[in-house]
Amino acid sequence: MPERTFELTSAFTVENYATAFTEGYARPLMWSLIGAVMTTAICAVLAWPSAVILHRHAGRWATVVAALIALPIFISESVRLFGMSVFMMPRGGILAGTLNAVFGIQIGSILNTSSAALVGMVYIHLPFMLFPLLLGISLIPMDRIEAAKDLGANRWQVFREVELPLAAPGLTIGALLTFVLCIGANAEAAILGGRSVTVITTAIEQRFSFAQDWPMGAALTVLVIAITAAIVLPVLAKLDLNRLTRR
Amino acid sequence: MSEGRHTAALRTLWIGVILAFLYIPIVSVVLASLANTRYMRFPHRVWSVDAYRDALGSFTTWQLHTISLSIAVSVVIVSTVLGTLGAVAFARYDWRGRRWFQRLLVLPIFFPQPVLGLALLLSFTAVGISPSWKTAVVAHLVWIVPIVTLMISVRFFGYNVAQEEAAYDLGATHFQVVREITLPQIWPGVFSGILFGFLLSWSNLPLSVFTSGPDTPLPVWRFTRTATNYSPLVPSVAVIGTVVSALIVIGAALLLWAYSRVRAPAR
Repeated sequence: MPERTFELTSAFTVENYATAFTEGYARPLMWSLIGAVMTTAICAVLAWPSAVILHRHAGRWATVVAALIALPIFISESVRLFGMSVFMMPRGGILAGTLNAVFGIQIGSILNTSSAALVGMVYIHLPFMLFPLLLGISLIPMDRIEAAKDLGANRWQVFREVELPLAAPGLTIGALLTFVLCIGANAEAAILGGRSVTVITTAIEQRFSFAQDWPMGAALTVLVIAITAAIVLPVLAKLDLNRLTRR
Repeated sequence: MSEGRHTAALRTLWIGVILAFLYIPIVSVVLASLANTRYMRFPHRVWSVDAYRDALGSFTTWQLHTISLSIAVSVVIVSTVLGTLGAVAFARYDWRGRRWFQRLLVLPIFFPQPVLGLALLLSFTAVGISPSWKTAVVAHLVWIVPIVTLMISVRFFGYNVAQEEAAYDLGATHFQVVREITLPQIWPGVFSGILFGFLLSWSNLPLSVFTSGPDTPLPVWRFTRTATNYSPLVPSVAVIGTVVSALIVIGAALLLWAYSRVRAPAR
């Protein structure tokens, strides 16, 4: 449908989908996709050692630490992101202000950059990766690792050949959850990223509200859902929910 | 073995860093609320709880909480009923079209929330309903019902149908089977559904922004005030809101726990 009109009876066109790529919507889309992939990867890297420590080494502290990690989820996302921005603020922020008052060091700030948005994304989504991964790690029997070590495997081999495949279901669920949540996320970019990042959901919102270009907004929405479904559904089909829950 | 001690210390340090990362922003909100100046200048010259006194004394705070609470409670009631019934269809019975039902149900979770809110606002106005907190309830339900349904469904995957059949064979009525066999089995799922339904609705911003109309729930107020008219009132209301939601959740949990203790000897 042409711009600035909305009539169900008007002629159908697929032009909007072509325009979506030529008129610079590829950029917010890439932001969202790259952001989601990077957040998922960083969360996995941070969560793996934490899950291993919690499951194998923490002993009686494991429950306490797990509860402490879960607790922030119950506090509203916007409150926590607001806290993050107060912490990062230049000059009068919690971090900069403290460093200045105590050590006399003056530091810059990453607030309103894409890195700040990424930090916020990792911060919000880390628990969503950690808990499924904890389930995955607990699926690894310790004697398998011992056996692999006895047979002469080094650390990297144990990780790649034993731990990773056995923990794969947990890792997959965590990655899916994080990825899907990140694709739709826009509060992190809005609160911490300032104007330096425009994620796809923000771009869609602007199409609908300021630009009054509903057909384009709708086309972008369909595109996002299609991309998400194309990534999520095949993985979901492979995942055997029954096997995981019966354990 | 000195290396073992080092690795143990490293592990503790790692967990400490992760926990610090998760808690720094929360502590920051509390610290920010203890100022009495409009502009954030940390460390504060004067530490004060004025913002809290202002917040508790103002009518707006009460109004915000009442609206958020009305939305969240309505969402919890409807989503728990629909979610429980939906979970029965989702996981308990095998029927034609179940796979399609499962897929369609998950779809709203993938849908970007701000767009969902906007689309709902457009549909409401198209039908001629003016937005208020009641339309916000409908909007929240579109997104929360699937999540609650999934949470309850998980219980059904480990559910043994033979128990129900055994009860029927022993002469139980349909109602008795539901009350004595099915509900106690899926209860943990229903409980976490209630908990998450409440918290997701309480903290939802993208759906409320578009659909709540003139009634402002807490997250919307917080968002607009942070953007346009910041003062220490914002973090103090955030702290109050969080404490209120925590008290409600803990209170509900205690009530249910007490109820199950009272009921337990009777069975």
